[in-house]
Amino acid sequence: MNWQLARPWRVVFGIGMATLVMCFFSCSSHDTKFQQYFSQGQSLYEKHCSNCHQKNGEGLKRLYPPLANSDFFKKNLPTSICIMKYGIAGEMKVNGVNFNKPMPGVPSLTELELAEIATYIANSWGAEEGRTTIEQVTEALKSCKTQ
Amino acid sequence: MKKEFFAITFIVGVLLLAGCSTKPARLPFFGERTFNGKDTLYHTIAPFQFIDQDSVAITNATFKDKIYVADFFFTSCRTICPIMKTQMLRVYEATQNMPDVLILSHTIDPEYDTVALLHDYANRLDVKSSRWHFVTGAKDSIFKIAQTSYFATAMEDKTEPDGFIHSGAFLLIDKKGRLRGKYDGAREEDVNRLIGDIKILRQE
Repeated sequence: MNWQLARPWRVVFGIGMATLVMCFFSCSSHDTKFQQYFSQGQSLYEKHCSNCHQKNGEGLKRLYPPLANSDFFKKNLPTSICIMKYGIAGEMKVNGVNFNKPMPGVPSLTELELAEIATYIANSWGAEEGRTTIEQVTEALKSCKTQ
Repeated sequence: MKKEFFAITFIVGVLLLAGCSTKPARLPFFGERTFNGKDTLYHTIAPFQFIDQDSVAITNATFKDKIYVADFFFTSCRTICPIMKTQMLRVYEATQNMPDVLILSHTIDPEYDTVALLHDYANRLDVKSSRWHFVTGAKDSIFKIAQTSYFATAMEDKTEPDGFIHSGAFLLIDKKGRLRGKYDGAREEDVNRLIGDIKILRQE
């Protein structure tokens, strides 16, 4: 029996294999970056955020709003990034509940760190919103009211 | 031979039962003790008067014949206080059906933590002012009672990020105003021990 493919088929097969290999590498490099952001984001979250918002992201009663399944965070990513860096005061509504305690910002956070924290929050506790990029953070910071 | 065997078994049995029925370990007493010739006198919490979230005067009399857990915090603190409050909420929930157990949280930042602010804070924590008093008062008296009565660290320090140094301790006080336990209010296991000790103290 002859297992050799005819020449045109060999070309098709070669291209197919090459595409698969490229796909695999590009996908895994995306995953590596996501994983880096996520795990860096987690340790930053536990350092700067979880005292109040809790490790499980559920917040504390009507004192500290939840981040897990938070409609505010989902709908207002740029504002949320501003709040992380510059803080916020006054009333705000999260999942229908009124909160009104000032939150101090962490001005020392870099754009990369903000992207990492946002990535962690947006992909934890059941959410899968994907990675927040540095470009998104740069853009968000331009819109902040306090700078 | 047989008789002796039964006798020994009986004695061993009685001893074992006696061992089982001994009361759980007694909680220690903190601080100096003196002997007046008749009784040992233990360190007690000094007289105090503060104002709680409902503008009610809170004194030692508020805790007469009550066991209470005390701590020191301030509402704008973002380091250990939120963890302490999460843990104190566990104590509050665990003692919900114990009318003889109360909680006393002192602010160490009375300039910022006014009665109105403490009222709002307690309200947002969903806790009853009859069981959990958030008090404010003269800063010096709060710092002094923290250090000399409760043996807890609380002082101002402008070099700290939030402006204060303070311990995250939870203090357990018995019905006679004596300090009977000290726990790290930021550690869940320590707070579990506190909840267990409250039950032991209620048996006294």
